[in-house]
Amino acid sequence: MLLHLVKKDLILAKKYLLVMLIFAIVAPIFINSKLGLSNGSFISFLTTVLFVEYILFNMISFQEDKYKGAALLCTTPYTRNGVIKAKYVFILVIFIACFLLYNLAAVIGASYGLTRLSIYSVGVALLIISVFFGILIPVQTKFGYEKTKYIFLIMIFLTPFTLPTIIEWYQSIDININIDLPIPQSIKDWIPFAIAVLMGLISMIISIRIYSRKNL
Amino acid sequence: MKAVLEVNNLKKELGSFSLEQLTFSLKEGCITGFIGVNGSGKTTTIKTILGLYPKDDGSIKFFGKDMEKNEYEIKNRIGVVLDEGYFYEEMTLKEMKSIIAPAYTNWDESVFLNYINRFNLKLNQKIATLSKGMRMKFAITLALSHHADLLIMDEPTSGLDPLIRNELMEILLDFMEEEGKSVFFSTHITSDLEKVADMLILIDNGKIVFNESKDELLERHALIKGDNRLINEHSTKLFLRLRQTPFGFEGITNKVDQVCEQMKDIIIERPSIEDVMLAYVKER
Repeated sequence: MLLHLVKKDLILAKKYLLVMLIFAIVAPIFINSKLGLSNGSFISFLTTVLFVEYILFNMISFQEDKYKGAALLCTTPYTRNGVIKAKYVFILVIFIACFLLYNLAAVIGASYGLTRLSIYSVGVALLIISVFFGILIPVQTKFGYEKTKYIFLIMIFLTPFTLPTIIEWYQSIDININIDLPIPQSIKDWIPFAIAVLMGLISMIISIRIYSRKNL
Repeated sequence: MKAVLEVNNLKKELGSFSLEQLTFSLKEGCITGFIGVNGSGKTTTIKTILGLYPKDDGSIKFFGKDMEKNEYEIKNRIGVVLDEGYFYEEMTLKEMKSIIAPAYTNWDESVFLNYINRFNLKLNQKIATLSKGMRMKFAITLALSHHADLLIMDEPTSGLDPLIRNELMEILLDFMEEEGKSVFFSTHITSDLEKVADMLILIDNGKIVFNESKDELLERHALIKGDNRLINEHSTKLFLRLRQTPFGFEGITNKVDQVCEQMKDIIIERPSIEDVMLAYVKER
């Protein structure tokens, strides 16, 4: 059932889906060539994923707000919980698609210095996405699409300008937070994934609670 | 007859409006008309019953089972047509169906295609391009393609021409031919119910005014016409609603025997549902 609700989101976003998929290949190559940073590949991937996810998610939220289709869905055996869970699964599906397309871009854009990402980097990217949408989805569930749109639109457009600066600053001050956990490196690499999933789950529970009291 | 829906002391506040301790039930095998003027609480009641508005208090049981505990099972047995459709209008009919159909365990594709052909709907057409009548037909198609036992419709005839409204009534009668089916149908166009309704529930200002069989209700009331000379302080009290013009009076009463005893030279007519509804609805 959940997958059909994700399919519904993909149908709602279909107008932009192809363009976004092409963007997910072209953007990392372009951003990386312009940045010229040592870890430009990670920033290129993160920026691309954030853009693709935000635009597609917003496109769907706009249509949900306009047509109130969730009300009809909730008269069928689909539940309110399912409607919310599908939003999070959709974000994950698009993230995986962007990651796969990034790998294709890394092959095409190898001459521009675009490299494949480590498991750790992908995990950090997922964690950032998880934090961003982990805040966006409950806020949007509570306040609605219109009110939330303006706040996050400003934030997302500032990201490409602020993120490289923040990362450069982070590298320049050379903070070394090294917590030595008595676990193998191969497991440490997966820690960001675990935190991302945990944050996503906490956010999902909050959204489900907010949505359960909403008048549809 | 078994009750397909039992609502007890249902309470819901919505801004300045509220449903106050609503109690009513729907019987199996009946078409129940849910009537009331605009803003009386019909849509709020239906949305609260369906769980689209969380209730503040009270209980809702479908087929003897609690909605909150048996949501999946109950929703599989009901078909819903909402007043504004609530479709994703950018989708085609086929896409919309591909989302709705997998939700039901007993979706019947052949029934769906039968209705699509009967209504001359085109599966590749965008929902946004459908007329109001066609949209309502598509909503009914979706609501009836999983062998629902109870069909709940919120103002399905609102804004439709008489021809399509008549067609809808025929569909409801067809649906009722199968044993164990029931319909709950809200409307402010009471003429639609004259032909098809078995039971009538009147809601006004968030309160249930009556819930009884249409025939009994219409027999219990009468439309009285006569000369203005017959109207005095005493006889006025016999009427629920009284209208006087220079040519005479016209009133609705639920005290038919007393009127007949006390007033001579009057014309007694069977009232319409609208006459009775307006007699009970408080003027705002």
